[in-house]
Amino acid sequence: MQDGRLVAVAIVQYPNDDGKSVRINQRALPELQSEALAAQSADVDTVSGATYTSDGYVRSLQSALDAARAAGAIAA
Amino acid sequence: MHHVEQVMGMAVSIDVRSPAPCDSALADVLSWLHHVDATFSTYRDDSDVSRFGRGELGVADLSRDVEDVLVRCIELTEQTAGAFDAFAVPAPNGTMLDPSGFVKGWSIERAAVILETAGAANFCINAGGDIAVRGESMPGTSWKVGIRHPAQADKLALVLEVRGSLGVATSATYERGAHIVDPRTGTPTTEVASATVIGPDLGTADAFATAAFVLGLDAIEWIETQPGYHAYLITHDGRTCWSADFPHPAKAPPRFSNRDDHRSLAQSRSPQSSRSPGS
Repeated sequence: MQDGRLVAVAIVQYPNDDGKSVRINQRALPELQSEALAAQSADVDTVSGATYTSDGYVRSLQSALDAARAAGAIAA
Repeated sequence: MHHVEQVMGMAVSIDVRSPAPCDSALADVLSWLHHVDATFSTYRDDSDVSRFGRGELGVADLSRDVEDVLVRCIELTEQTAGAFDAFAVPAPNGTMLDPSGFVKGWSIERAAVILETAGAANFCINAGGDIAVRGESMPGTSWKVGIRHPAQADKLALVLEVRGSLGVATSATYERGAHIVDPRTGTPTTEVASATVIGPDLGTADAFATAAFVLGLDAIEWIETQPGYHAYLITHDGRTCWSADFPHPAKAPPRFSNRDDHRSLAQSRSPQSSRSPGS
């Protein structure tokens, strides 16, 4: 890059050597917490999750929220 | 205004609460999203990105938008120490160029600007699980953003209450299988089940969520070096951890085992043994 503009791009594979054994030995791991599940989805505006395909959307909570919104069940 | 558009291989939900934007706003947003699909899709052999990946287009042939995206992807690879890399993982079109992990969030961030320019102030756009929010859901009420539980599709792991201008992106494999490859090793990455990143720019949050998923539990220490961005991880056994300033509604951030061990070890030493030699 020059001045934030692209000059040329080489598309290459990264080398596999990332010093993994050293990194693991030095890890400072966050302590894990148990999380109480939020049982119902009714009281949210929107849902973040893994990117779903169009098929996945049909079964998703977001799809149910959109349907409720379209039906006027959630006030604008 | 509420609309769901199938574009870029996913559903994009556009939910404008107030004020109503000008009449052309929705058409402008949809036109933009379909333009992004045609230009950046790695599922279309005729997109600019596919043609550039095959070497049919050179740098000089690229539009400013494509060039800006590729420049930003290179910056993001540096910011993530290689955990996000648009140039290192095979794309659906068979090339080694796949900026999709940034383009989705970037394009929704731009769609939000179109809505704001058209007069909307309080709205939410959800693009296949990545979300840009603006303002409030109702006067005086925060947006409630659920984060899906990775093992239970009908459950939420957490509900965030947010307002103002914010991006929320989640990276996980439960929808499309083990598709997230560690660009540093070329192998699928599986330490955590779900990684959510929030921050001011959804494009950056989108790429950071992919990086956080790849980094696994190391993502917490890393994201704390990225001002304005915060992470929330869920493991395969349903436990969680999050970075220092993640707006978790209930609890303080977790401590680090090794970090705290080192600290308590230092504190438990007698004054004599903690002195440096020669003191």
